[in-house]
Amino acid sequence: MTAEIRAAPAATSASKRSADRAGPGRRWLRFRSTLAVLATQLVVLAAFLAFWEHATGQNKAAAFMFGSPSAIFKFLSQMATDGSLWRDSYVTGLETLLGFFVGNCIGTVIGLSLWYSRFVSRVVEPFVIALGSIPIIALAPIIIIWFGTGLISKVAMSTLSVVIVALVTSYKGATGVDPDQINLFRTLGASKFQIFRKLVVPASLTDIFAGLKLTVGFALIGAIVGEFMSSSEGLGHAIFKAGSLYIIPKVFAALVATIALALILTFAVGKIEQLLMPWRQQLQR
Amino acid sequence: MMQSGPGAAAAAPAPPLVVEHVAKSYELDGGGIVPVIGDLSLILREGEIVSIVGPSGCGKTTLLNTLCGLLTPDAGRIRWHGREVAGQPQNVGYMLQKDLLLPWRTALGNTMLGLEIRGVPAAQAEDRCRAMLDQLGLHGFADHYPTTLSGGMRQRVALARTLVNEPDVLLLDEPFAALDFQSKLLIENDTVGLVRQGRRSLLLITHDIEEAVSLADRVIVLSQRPTQIKAVYDIALGSDRRDVISVRQMPGFSDYVRSIWADLDVVLQ
Repeated sequence: MTAEIRAAPAATSASKRSADRAGPGRRWLRFRSTLAVLATQLVVLAAFLAFWEHATGQNKAAAFMFGSPSAIFKFLSQMATDGSLWRDSYVTGLETLLGFFVGNCIGTVIGLSLWYSRFVSRVVEPFVIALGSIPIIALAPIIIIWFGTGLISKVAMSTLSVVIVALVTSYKGATGVDPDQINLFRTLGASKFQIFRKLVVPASLTDIFAGLKLTVGFALIGAIVGEFMSSSEGLGHAIFKAGSLYIIPKVFAALVATIALALILTFAVGKIEQLLMPWRQQLQR
Repeated sequence: MMQSGPGAAAAAPAPPLVVEHVAKSYELDGGGIVPVIGDLSLILREGEIVSIVGPSGCGKTTLLNTLCGLLTPDAGRIRWHGREVAGQPQNVGYMLQKDLLLPWRTALGNTMLGLEIRGVPAAQAEDRCRAMLDQLGLHGFADHYPTTLSGGMRQRVALARTLVNEPDVLLLDEPFAALDFQSKLLIENDTVGLVRQGRRSLLLITHDIEEAVSLADRVIVLSQRPTQIKAVYDIALGSDRRDVISVRQMPGFSDYVRSIWADLDVVLQ
């Protein structure tokens, strides 16, 4: 029995070596499956666009009602050359980013600090639920009255769309910490603030980032709804104006820019997540 | 309490842990009361290893949390080095079946937790932690994140995190239960070696009778809830008790295991 036990470390190091050797092969396999997913996505997209183009090419009325990929592309390149695409994207992007940032900061700080006091969190809970159930669109007219028709009102709309979600996800993260882990910190003599800073905050990062990814879309919706109500620039403004003039392909062109904006922001959040939580990358290795 | 004043302490230092007639019950939401610990007394002396075994659900974890000051007993006294302590006792290490490693910290970072909380300078803490990890066979793994370590290695990191604070007393709650047999024997051996070498005291709560007998100087068998002490065995298996692997082959070993098993079996019926 003793001999078996002594032999164990040698066996583990051998299996580790063989895993290293399998490394490049596995990486290639994973790359290949990613490639397959990407290729399939492109095929689906191309088929959809081809069908759209073909169906609207035969029929003038359909082309007017639904636009067509080629017309959308034409508007996109026109908007790019006259600069309105960049200007509108910049304006909406700035509003979204500011709202996203402010909303998540406020929401996360409140959500995490509610961990500190069971009493305060119980007092606050019904108010949070009440605020969370308000459709943000309903607030738009008031926001315009309070903050005017410029940048600030859109940032406010965007912030409001984000803040409750950020609060709830970060609070959920903070209260989801394993009680045994808290006990461990207590037996090591940690103060409540040390438990908060060294355990609760980092343990909540996973939930906070889930919230961040979710709120990219909410921030963008907030900004665009704000622009719908009253604005002179931005993608929401472009969509609204083209829509009221029945220039359907231009509506779609502005939508494409909106989607691109959302994708870029989501991608950026994912990158920041990887930077801030390097231990999660090691998991995939 | 009077005889545990400074004069008496100088004459004969009080044992690290004395538990006198501790009782603990839980209130149910419905209003009922479930007595968990009935009446329990025990003494843990300096340099002694005591195992506690008992049937499932007999309140072993409640006992441990009460000793740590995470729960307050309904009755009785707990004295650490002769004193009753409010809150968490000092110099007590605590380790559970779950390794409770923080995934965002490397093995080294996890080991440094206790020293960091106590404000030990980082460079000094790092040296001590690296040395402790080396001693536990984790040389070269200090900068690995827990997700890349095996279960046995993770539990070794947890052990390093506990031992690096140089506790007088270790309270372990089934720390090796989730490990495979080989890892378990090896880590048990290292634990006992380090505990005996440092003249520390160890209270080990376990399901595993063989583990209890092979590690401990004394095994306490608990009854079903409300928990009381059912039997106490002084384990006489030679004078050098550092090798927990060869002790399993000693002639008296299986007798102890059999009698303790019989004690538990009666309780289970």
